[in-house]
Amino acid sequence: MRPVSGLLPHLAVLPIVAPLLAGAALLLLRRQAAAARAISMLSLLLLLAMAVTLVGYTAGGATLSYALGNWPAPFGIATAVDRLTAMMLTVSSVMGIACQLAADGRASLRFPALLQFQLAGLNGAFLTADLFNLFVFFEVLLAASYALLLDLQSPARLRPGLHYVTVNLLGSSLFLIAAALFYGVAGTLNLADLDVRLQALPAADLELARIAGLLLLVVFAIKAAALPLGLWLPGTYGAAPAHVAALFAIMTKVGVYSIARVHGALFAAPTPGGPAGEPLAGLALPWLLPAGLATLLLGAAGALAARDLRVLVAWLVIGSAGTLLTALGLGSPAATAAAFYYLPHSTFAAGAAFLVVERIARARAAPAAPDEPHYLVSEAERVRDAAWVGALFFAAALAIAGLPPGSGFIGKALLLDAAAAAPARAWVFVIVLLGSLVTLVALARAASTVFWKPMARASASAETLAEAGPSGPAPIPGRGLTAATVLLLGGGLAMVVLARPLFDFLLRAAGALVGA
Amino acid sequence: MEVLLATGIGALTAAGIYLALRSRTFELVLGLTLISYAVNLFIFAMGRPVTGRAPILRDGLPPTLANYADPLPQALVLTAIVISFAMTAVLIVISLKLRAASGGDHVDGADGKRAGEDP
Amino acid sequence: MNASPLPLLGAFALPWLAALALFALPNERRNAAAAIAGGAALLAVVLLATLGPAVFAGAVPRVSWPWLPLADADFGLRADGLAWTFAMLVTGIGALVVLYARYYLSDSDPMARFYAFFMVFMGAMLGVVLADNLLLLVAFWELTSISSFLLIGYWQGRADARQGARLSLTITALGGLALFAGVLLLGEIVGSFSLDAVLAAGETVRAHRWYAPALLLILLGAFAKSAQFPLHFWLPQAMAAPTPVSAYLHSATLVKAGVFLIARLHPTLAGSELWFYVVSLTGLATLAVGAYVAVFQHDLKGLLAYSTISHLGLITLLFGLSTPLATVAGVFHILNHATFKASLFMAAGIIDHEAGSRDMRLLNGLWKYMPVTAVLAIIASSAMAGVPLLNGFLSKEMFFAETLGLDAHPILAIAIPLLATVAAAFSVAYSVRFIHDVFWNGEPKGLPRRPHEPPFWMLVPVGALALLCLLVGILPAITIGSLLALAATPVVGGTLPEYSLAIWHGFNLPLLMSVIALGVGTVFYLMLQRLFRLHDLIHLPRGGREVFDLAVSAAVRGARALTEALVNGSLQRSVFLITLGSLLVAGWMVFGSGRPDHVGRVMPLAAHPLAWALWLIALVALAALLTRHRERLEALVYLGVIGLVVSLTFGGLSAPDLLLTQLLVEVASILLLLLALHFLPLQSARTDAPRRRWRDAAVALGAGVGVSAIVHAVLSRPKPDSLAPWFLENAVPGAFGTNAVNVILVDFRGLDTLGEITVLGLAAVIVAALLPRARGLPEVEPGGDRSLMLELTSRAMLPLVSLVAIWFFLRGHNLPGGGFIGGLVLAIGLLLPYLGSGTAWVERRSLPSFEAWIGWGLACATVTGLVSLALGYPFLTSTYFAPVLPVVDKVSIASAMFFDLGVFLTVAGAAMLALTRLGRLSGPEPGAEAR
Repeated sequence: MRPVSGLLPHLAVLPIVAPLLAGAALLLLRRQAAAARAISMLSLLLLLAMAVTLVGYTAGGATLSYALGNWPAPFGIATAVDRLTAMMLTVSSVMGIACQLAADGRASLRFPALLQFQLAGLNGAFLTADLFNLFVFFEVLLAASYALLLDLQSPARLRPGLHYVTVNLLGSSLFLIAAALFYGVAGTLNLADLDVRLQALPAADLELARIAGLLLLVVFAIKAAALPLGLWLPGTYGAAPAHVAALFAIMTKVGVYSIARVHGALFAAPTPGGPAGEPLAGLALPWLLPAGLATLLLGAAGALAARDLRVLVAWLVIGSAGTLLTALGLGSPAATAAAFYYLPHSTFAAGAAFLVVERIARARAAPAAPDEPHYLVSEAERVRDAAWVGALFFAAALAIAGLPPGSGFIGKALLLDAAAAAPARAWVFVIVLLGSLVTLVALARAASTVFWKPMARASASAETLAEAGPSGPAPIPGRGLTAATVLLLGGGLAMVVLARPLFDFLLRAAGALVGA
Repeated sequence: MEVLLATGIGALTAAGIYLALRSRTFELVLGLTLISYAVNLFIFAMGRPVTGRAPILRDGLPPTLANYADPLPQALVLTAIVISFAMTAVLIVISLKLRAASGGDHVDGADGKRAGEDP
Repeated sequence: MNASPLPLLGAFALPWLAALALFALPNERRNAAAAIAGGAALLAVVLLATLGPAVFAGAVPRVSWPWLPLADADFGLRADGLAWTFAMLVTGIGALVVLYARYYLSDSDPMARFYAFFMVFMGAMLGVVLADNLLLLVAFWELTSISSFLLIGYWQGRADARQGARLSLTITALGGLALFAGVLLLGEIVGSFSLDAVLAAGETVRAHRWYAPALLLILLGAFAKSAQFPLHFWLPQAMAAPTPVSAYLHSATLVKAGVFLIARLHPTLAGSELWFYVVSLTGLATLAVGAYVAVFQHDLKGLLAYSTISHLGLITLLFGLSTPLATVAGVFHILNHATFKASLFMAAGIIDHEAGSRDMRLLNGLWKYMPVTAVLAIIASSAMAGVPLLNGFLSKEMFFAETLGLDAHPILAIAIPLLATVAAAFSVAYSVRFIHDVFWNGEPKGLPRRPHEPPFWMLVPVGALALLCLLVGILPAITIGSLLALAATPVVGGTLPEYSLAIWHGFNLPLLMSVIALGVGTVFYLMLQRLFRLHDLIHLPRGGREVFDLAVSAAVRGARALTEALVNGSLQRSVFLITLGSLLVAGWMVFGSGRPDHVGRVMPLAAHPLAWALWLIALVALAALLTRHRERLEALVYLGVIGLVVSLTFGGLSAPDLLLTQLLVEVASILLLLLALHFLPLQSARTDAPRRRWRDAAVALGAGVGVSAIVHAVLSRPKPDSLAPWFLENAVPGAFGTNAVNVILVDFRGLDTLGEITVLGLAAVIVAALLPRARGLPEVEPGGDRSLMLELTSRAMLPLVSLVAIWFFLRGHNLPGGGFIGGLVLAIGLLLPYLGSGTAWVERRSLPSFEAWIGWGLACATVTGLVSLALGYPFLTSTYFAPVLPVVDKVSIASAMFFDLGVFLTVAGAAMLALTRLGRLSGPEPGAEAR
């Protein structure tokens, strides 16, 4: 048993342990709201620090692999950190911070604890290198998300909750079947070990391995809300409280991440120069591309159809999942790297959008009933301090619709540039661009209805003048919301400015994963 | 033995899915419970179960697969049982609340009308 | 020679900085806002001017930073002749419009915001013309669309402003996306996005098989932006914008971006049949349609909008003809049109502003009210008509000359000059109409106010531009010659052709065409006046916009239909699709890969008769459950039987821990369901149609068969060499436990267990959240499952149960048992008394808050894991010591046991939290409810 020297190696597990401990502690003292918030934020900042450290550590190509309980892999559970993991940890901690910021008086006393457990689950899913352990952390993050969704006593959330839990229970059953089947044919659960053993699998067993792989793909597709398995999402996300919905923006990405991680490791696309006769190579690709494109279109259509602002954003989440699956479906390192760039972008953008929508809904509340936010697009309530809220919405919309200077523009450029080399380029070009057009139309319609139409009733200019000036009406409570929104939008902006170094980083990450 | 196990698991799965496809929360819970039984047996089966070789190590009996059953799937099943039980409990409570809120036990809303998207 | 890039950078940055400042500025500071905007624009002009000498000397000032991780997609600016000229145009006319807008906007309009948007647009436009690679160009291109959306929709209250803004955004964005795609293809072809590389690669591009798609996509983008037929209809709608916006965007800049792009990429893309036909025919159609429709507009701005469309068509046509001279003429006309059209728009704005209307049926005889404006407007519109001594005449002459003697299809060779002349005649007609209707033609009809001259500073910009029209028109060679050469050279690509900028080229065909156009146009206008009483003749353009509206609303309806049909909030559909999906992918593999292989290769294990019996019982119970599931209490019995069989199966197949756990979970679930049935109907209503039940049965059966097949396939294979032996070998020496399963749970795979108890705890928290202490559900009569007998026995049992629980816990590491089983035993032990007499009784046992138990449990397990870090070992590394305790004979305590203690606490806490909260629902005393 060799001892571990220094703290750095432990960073491969502390992002799970820290929030877990914080969550347990917060369960014990959830009565002191202020202290709880402080502890929660502290733990989140710690997580961010760890994630950034790992980004710096892995940037040079170094990786961490950690044997829990000091039991050698593949027998014990191992966790591993590479560039991709480091990036995902960063994204999750940023989302966590935004979520904690946005959670104001309307969040429950338990919220900080649940948020911590949520992050423990997410980080576990990102870190683990063991198939069954991945299942366990999926359950942790799901359980935490059920709790976050149902915590506030709202009858409107019960049915979405029921559907969400049921769908995921089925997904979990499939996951167990797939994982067990892998053990049944290959005798291991450690992903790296599994990869090795699958290569050496007798031909007679290949078919079972394929079935296991595809069932696993179905599981991840459910999480990623891919067509036709994502029908549960709009209702659920649309019903969630804003700060929770914003955090959920990363949940679909977990599915995408797992596809990249598991299927990327076990069934990487056949490399042109690589050894011939990899019987399992590229197993998922033929399913991913069409599913991704269809999901993308459906997401855009749903956004165009939506009457409720939250549902609109939920559909946009589906659309971005479709874009990601499309990129993964292309299979090339460049496309995979584009997916890795698009992933944090779409997470930040969707999160910001959920928060802005909440801000709008509150700003549209009648002064008489400030606690009744208005989410319907067509409600002609005037948006108070429209200039500020409008600017935030505008920024989020640009990012999501993939227009400059939003990070989505770069994401799409990278994706299409990678697609130009692929046989399916025509499909990808047409559908991706059509999707952005429809998204743009949907957002422009919503925006002009929400922000401009109400002006028509009163004498417009006088009002705009009044509320743009300092002498406008008192600002709506929601400083936390605004701060969180700005944080997420800032994240997107940083991705624009740092596009080149970031993409180089991700390109290497993709290369290490799918073998360039 | 293989046949019994295989058909048994299959029967559980089929019944579970059929019930899960019913429109009442109670049947849904029944179905999911059956499915979880099936899944647990499935995991267990992947370890090639044997009779009379519980993986409780005894002195003098060398610790090999010849003398003991594969312990790993059993451990996995234990974890799976607990998790699925927890989730089923959540599901049950949600359906209770749903009944109290909507007055019905239809998975998509009070009987008759479909709940498209919730307000 | 090369020039310092700083002025370039500064000129580009100024509008953006100004925009930032303006966003911060309150709208009341009208003059400050105007000063910031105007100052920025003027300073930009000056900075660019300082580059002039260098640029004229042939240098290309540039500056660039690495940006996009794609081939040469840096963030770079590059000012060659064309770019520099356009930059001057953009900033110069921008400065004039800023001045004009200061007096145009009313006190109620938020001035600072207007100028902020205006500056954003100017910055984006500068980006388009200065970008040194195509991706950057596309980025700024989209930004011009977005900022023009804001400017056109500036009067937010007006419905037509909203629609116009949306329309123009949609069309130009559509074009922008097409351009995006085309540019990406072009970049792939060239292998670089850098403008220099692209401009140098003309041969390669035209030879490439992607040439056609790339060209068409890029042209679509340009045409949409430049309002080319049939995408022209957004421009008239955009007239809802404040007139300064129209004067800037819809004459000099935004719409010019399209033709700029055509000019920019001319050396690369032009020179093919495809280019000639697509570009010149589109241009020709636009030229003709725009000119014709313009004649029949009653709105001043409408007339100007269609005339703009027509002139853009003319420019496009010239680039389509693509001969060196035509190209020069195209660039020339871009400049001329910018000057006279901007001044015309501003004049129209003045008239609107001071006379209160833009309707030419009301505006008449303004000559005596606003002579100065009249003179300026007349100069500008004469230039538009192509009257000699004005700049419009010169470029039109060159245009006519180029339409002649084309070596194209004979029909075209005739049609193009003919249509050109006709269109010119129309443009004369509407120019004459503009002048005659507005300034003469009787008296004003019912204007809201008495017209008068505008403030002096509103006239200055118009005058400046009108003066330019004259100067260029009279002294072309001196005023514009070198600039034109500078701007045209990069477009022609290579050396400029011979041409002379003179008013008089002697009597030739072009001159004749001009004369004809002037004469016919005037006559045509007068005839229309006489014969058709033009003012009563209502003739509005149909098509484009209506089609667009229909398309959008159809799209929305379609999307609604699709999504509502697909996402109908049905859970059963989701379940069905998930099952079907898994069935499909699995089935695909089996039948798709054509090598189904389930032949048993190991001796089947003989089944004990007891196993057969159990199996039979289970099947019977299943059948009963399936047929009788509507009788819910009965169904629970069957479920119990099935669960029992499952547990016994585990037991029979050497898994005692599973037997125990499954049994306990079994009991717990059944109890839960019993409870639930207090609140759920005891029978299920029949709602599913038989067809549906058959469909479901089929899918379910399929899934069952599939699973059976997989299980059998696996069982009939030899066990692969797996991790298993290692666990057996290391359980005792490594983890000091003889129960391999428990050792795996608490040690080898401790992280799984940590996650598992977290899930359990969270589940309990959810239950607690859903069932708060306040009653969440209506009072319901408790069921009949509460007998005195059970009550007494259960109370007696409590201490015993607790002891058993601890015993299970302690022996767990070596024999079946462990933290989980122990915890569950304890919980159930506490649950039974509840069944007897309600939770109140349990609570009187003054147990601590169960939620806290969960917290402590998780903390205990986690901290145990962390201890090893202090010793320099990985998380969850276990250590070992062995005291001998009474009661339980030999106990080997690994540190893992503290971990297991955490499990014990969490499980017990979770189970009891959930069960007591549930119990409270049917608790007997209202007192307990209230608490």
